[in-house]
Amino acid sequence: MKYTPTIGIECHVQLSTKTKLFSEVDNDARGKEPNSCVSPVDYALPGMLPRLNGEAIKYAIRAGRAMNCEINAFSRFDRKHYFYPDSPKGYQITQFYQPIIGPGFVELPSGTKIRIEHAHLEGDAGKLTHFSNYSLVDLNRVDTPLIEIVSMPDIHSPKDAHDYCKELWRLMCYAEVTYGDLFNGNMRFDVNISLAPEGAKELGTRAEIKNLNSFRSVERAAEYEIKRQTRILNAGEKVVQETRGWNDATGETTGQRSKEEAKDYRYMPEPDLPPINLSQEFIDAESAKLPMMPNDYRKKFEGTLKPDILEILLDYPSLMKKLDQLATREDASEGLSEVTTENEGASPVTTGASDPSPRKPSSRVSLIANLFTSVLLAEEKSAEYLNDLPSTNDLKDLAEMNEKKELSSTATKEVFLKLFDPQMKGRGTKTIAKELGLVQENDLGALEKIVDTVLAKPETQKAQADYKAGEQKVIGFLVGQVMKASRGKANPSAVQEILRKKLA
Amino acid sequence: MEIKCEDVKHLADLSNFSLPDKEIVALQNDLQDIIKYISQLDELDTKNVEPTYQVFEMENVWREDEILPQEADREALLALTKEEKDHQIKVPKVL
Repeated sequence: MKYTPTIGIECHVQLSTKTKLFSEVDNDARGKEPNSCVSPVDYALPGMLPRLNGEAIKYAIRAGRAMNCEINAFSRFDRKHYFYPDSPKGYQITQFYQPIIGPGFVELPSGTKIRIEHAHLEGDAGKLTHFSNYSLVDLNRVDTPLIEIVSMPDIHSPKDAHDYCKELWRLMCYAEVTYGDLFNGNMRFDVNISLAPEGAKELGTRAEIKNLNSFRSVERAAEYEIKRQTRILNAGEKVVQETRGWNDATGETTGQRSKEEAKDYRYMPEPDLPPINLSQEFIDAESAKLPMMPNDYRKKFEGTLKPDILEILLDYPSLMKKLDQLATREDASEGLSEVTTENEGASPVTTGASDPSPRKPSSRVSLIANLFTSVLLAEEKSAEYLNDLPSTNDLKDLAEMNEKKELSSTATKEVFLKLFDPQMKGRGTKTIAKELGLVQENDLGALEKIVDTVLAKPETQKAQADYKAGEQKVIGFLVGQVMKASRGKANPSAVQEILRKKLA
Repeated sequence: MEIKCEDVKHLADLSNFSLPDKEIVALQNDLQDIIKYISQLDELDTKNVEPTYQVFEMENVWREDEILPQEADREALLALTKEEKDHQIKVPKVL
């Protein structure tokens, strides 16, 4: 029988606020000693009171708006009780009844819309490390602010599950609410999956795969579950509702002990935290701070960049910002070059005036974008490089020099990489290109002189005669001779043009 | 609402308490009395009354996102735990 899979995803996003959700303690425990970012509040010592971090509320508003969600003016906190050593309080402070983020949707690159049921603020738990006969508890992560995002069961394929998680990750990174470091668990996904006979109205029994931390593992786990559940249903058996763990090495999910399954969290209102009641002005002011989102960039660069290149680049928010600046500067420089001349009379005007061809809007953006995908991302150090991008001006100069044919395409790539080189960067594109001797000779007068010397040489006489006799190919030999004489700095296409004219 | 022996065991399980049988019966009676006492409130008609979550009627109490030095340092806090190892709290193995 054919089955339709239905997938819902819960995603926990760690917020990158300076302090924790309920205490004035450093929230960034990366590379820090265990239990060094903790306070008596995190230890839940008697008499300690949580104090809500106002910044986390603002982050939640931005995160919500990034997912086209309504922001609930009124929200409050609840206690979710459970007994486990990762939580000294014996409960988690969460928003069970009245979450801050209401319904919305996330649009996948394919255009499919996945509805968001709601999202809420809560505190993270500590970290446990298990050894043979004991476990160690590190409370650094206790009450790191989290947003838990709950999707509607709108996902029907492992690919869409993957794309949804990836788009969520992008949205949260662009909204600047998280470091987005998946490897270190900044975003974790719980995937609910069930199968129902095709066309059936009711959903089947679901299994939940907890704590996945990569898009790929979400996709693979969903693929595995669909196969496993199909096998069970085809055999006439029933899928057990349970939590399953994912093993990345074996590529399988396994049932976890169901003893703890009987969930009874005894939710109750959190008496230590007064409710949140936001004014529309407050919500609007924070919403307005949301920077450009992936879809804004998709629209902006629609005609400029190929969709597959754009989707690669979208994984790097700082890069997109840079391309946007480049595009904006380009638009602006059309009209501004005149003004610049008047205002900065003393400094030489480098933009516009001497362009050999009229500027094609966005051609520079697409050149730089292509350099990023084809050259930079192939570099071993690309991750490091992406953390510290060259200035917009350096990139603009590079595109301009390429456009004016002052740099060949090979030279453009070489200079581009040097812009990231710790030894070279900051010196400016033009200086670097000159120092490396990569600037092509475009001065037609100078080129003509070189061509004349070459044509006067005895060793080129035969080639000249052959060319005139109709042997077009030998032009290559002559161009080569001129290039040699110019020590590689001549622009080959300009040289060829001059040669053809002279030998016509 | 009747409190059964199983309810007490369940609560003990959730809180990870070990409970001798004789205490279960005593707790069962105590809890039953408490529930009965509180149940008097059921006589009130609260249909048109907003639920109370907070008795102080405060709202929007939050703080700036600034790291403050803590009086109790790691060693002081770890000293409160029963057992520590490598600056972490050592507990019986849990999975």
